[in-house]
Amino acid sequence: MEREKTGFFGSQQSLLFAIVGIFIIYPFFVSNYYIDVAFFFGIYALLGLSLNIVLGEVGLFDLGHAGFYAIGAYTTAILNTKLGIPILVLLPVSAIAAGIFAYIVCSPIIHLRGDYLCIVTIGMGEIVRLALINNPFDLTGGPNGVYGIDFPSFGGPFVIDSSIEYYFLIWIIVVLSIIGLIRLQNSRIGRAWNCIREDEVAAGSSGIDVKSYKLLAFVIGAALAGVAGNIYASKLMAVSPESFSFWESCMLFCIVLIGGMGSIPGILIGAAFISLFPEIFRPFAMYRMLVFGLVMILMMMFRPGGVWPRKRGGPEFVSLLSRMRKKDV
Amino acid sequence: MKIMKHLLIVGIILCVLMPFNATAAEKPVVIGLQGPITGPWAYEGEMAKQSCEIAAQLINEKGGILGGRMVEVRVVDDAGEPKTGALAATKLVGQKDVVASVSTYGSSICEPASNIYEKFKKVNIGYGVTAVRLTQRDFKYFFRTCGRDDSQGKFFADSVPQKFGAKKIAIMHDNTAFGKGLAEDTKGALKPMLDAGTVELIYFDAITPGEKDFHVPLTQLREKKPDVWYFTGYYAEAALLVTQAREIGVTCPFVGGNAAINNEFVKIAGIDLAKGCYMTNEPLPADLPYKEAKEFLKAYKDKFGEIPSSPWPIYAADALNIIAYAIDKTGSVDSDVLAEYLRNDVNGVPGITGPIGFTAQGDREGVPFYLYVVDENGNIVISK
Repeated sequence: MEREKTGFFGSQQSLLFAIVGIFIIYPFFVSNYYIDVAFFFGIYALLGLSLNIVLGEVGLFDLGHAGFYAIGAYTTAILNTKLGIPILVLLPVSAIAAGIFAYIVCSPIIHLRGDYLCIVTIGMGEIVRLALINNPFDLTGGPNGVYGIDFPSFGGPFVIDSSIEYYFLIWIIVVLSIIGLIRLQNSRIGRAWNCIREDEVAAGSSGIDVKSYKLLAFVIGAALAGVAGNIYASKLMAVSPESFSFWESCMLFCIVLIGGMGSIPGILIGAAFISLFPEIFRPFAMYRMLVFGLVMILMMMFRPGGVWPRKRGGPEFVSLLSRMRKKDV
Repeated sequence: MKIMKHLLIVGIILCVLMPFNATAAEKPVVIGLQGPITGPWAYEGEMAKQSCEIAAQLINEKGGILGGRMVEVRVVDDAGEPKTGALAATKLVGQKDVVASVSTYGSSICEPASNIYEKFKKVNIGYGVTAVRLTQRDFKYFFRTCGRDDSQGKFFADSVPQKFGAKKIAIMHDNTAFGKGLAEDTKGALKPMLDAGTVELIYFDAITPGEKDFHVPLTQLREKKPDVWYFTGYYAEAALLVTQAREIGVTCPFVGGNAAINNEFVKIAGIDLAKGCYMTNEPLPADLPYKEAKEFLKAYKDKFGEIPSSPWPIYAADALNIIAYAIDKTGSVDSDVLAEYLRNDVNGVPGITGPIGFTAQGDREGVPFYLYVVDENGNIVISK
């Protein structure tokens, strides 16, 4: 038994090392375009992880996540262009701004469940986008957005301005987030979240402060999305409201659903699917949505838990096939 | 199975070799086109693509450039989205054979894309990007063939007072971002003339959009006795304003901004009153008087059945034309040479949208705007 276990862990570990190794050497062999594609894969991975906290861990339907992402990006853009604060200093600032926004906005709606919460979050995301378009206090630049954002700099000659440096920046942040999230999953908070997801009433009656834990999930999720927004803004050097449409929120939702709710490797697969798929199939862009819809339907039928569902503590999904099989028996 | 496998391998090898075979002949000059082929502005992207293809076709029919090399358009899709725009630009600059790029539709998409072109030193010419700030970044490789958001005000200042021999000008706006912006730009453009005292701005005020009765502001306007009256808002108010102004005896010529006059305006005001109302507007493709435009639109219609329905695609064709022209004249495909040439030596080159030239910032020289007028039959035509 003991030996088997270590053997299993050994193979998993070597797989992990292999993947990390590929990620490290990958950008040295491909053109800038593919590095940038991998960079946006990283952005989506980070956003997927952030939504996963809300949707995957606690089971709160949040279809307005692009709103938090926008808050992070615009906080960075505005503070950097108006006050000249360096991007890397703004990284935590953006996270905090998005977190505070989430706290304020989500406090009154946190008691809503399922579809109702979903509708309210859609509204929230749209309001953020419309507010940005309407240029409040002449800050957001209306439909044209904010431009002229700096590169992240460590001071002196250490400036992140090439594709490859951005690639490493985003993936280092993704890896740090993953480590943090795994620790969180196994903590008291993570277990409380999962408990709320499985049965809110039972969770409440066993002494879990449901409201605070839900709010905490929203705040942490929003803060992580704010980090993604910060890096996105500095990479593009300009932000505009088109980047934070309802469609973006849907994409993030899909990442979590495709990958597997609450499963970190699943989220990475989902993010890869969402960000790489449209690039690879750009020549067939017209049929992209068709294929996309079909994939989603097939997923829901045959692998409702996602490509890589979470093994333990994940939500219970019974696929159509296994249900049919059970009936046969 | 094994045969299949061999076939597959041979096929792959052929696929890889194909491009090399093609290059054995006269190598074409590749010009990139970045545009929204998919996404919310897909029709704009599609028309831009078709326009560039027609422009390239016309060049090639005349024997190509650089002594017989063909022009090839390579299209990349930016989906009308800033992120994809940045990726599309990275993709184009990564292709060594792409000499320069026509890019793109939408100012906020152009912004990140042009940053990348600038960084990798590739000439890029915007065709549907009107935000003023794009050319205020001291970029070396960015140009545009379309006008700017403030072109219309400048056009008004340059041509309207002169046309009507007007000394006293009234400007009325509606406090919307667009209307107010245009009014402010116009005021700014009139400033040198105001300072010199050749014209006088006697009225500059706003009306409230959505209202039905404008007698109060119009009476004020009447007392000032303007020679020409510029309204920068939308057609619904414009029609009511014209009706009520004529009623109380404001007789000076009415000039609307490009949102003020359309068929609805003529319907609400009635042909009698609408007749003789002017507007400043971008030229629609069908109205362009130039030889190049006629030739281009004919080729376009022959191939696609109808002419482009929006003004922007023809700017894309002109962007392609001017790149090809610059390559031909300089005999070089080097970005620095091309950028220098476009900035300093291109002046009054005949294009589809009129003579093309660039300012030091990379803006289009001369403003592609026209004064339109409502004729006796209620049609909106270019004023002679």
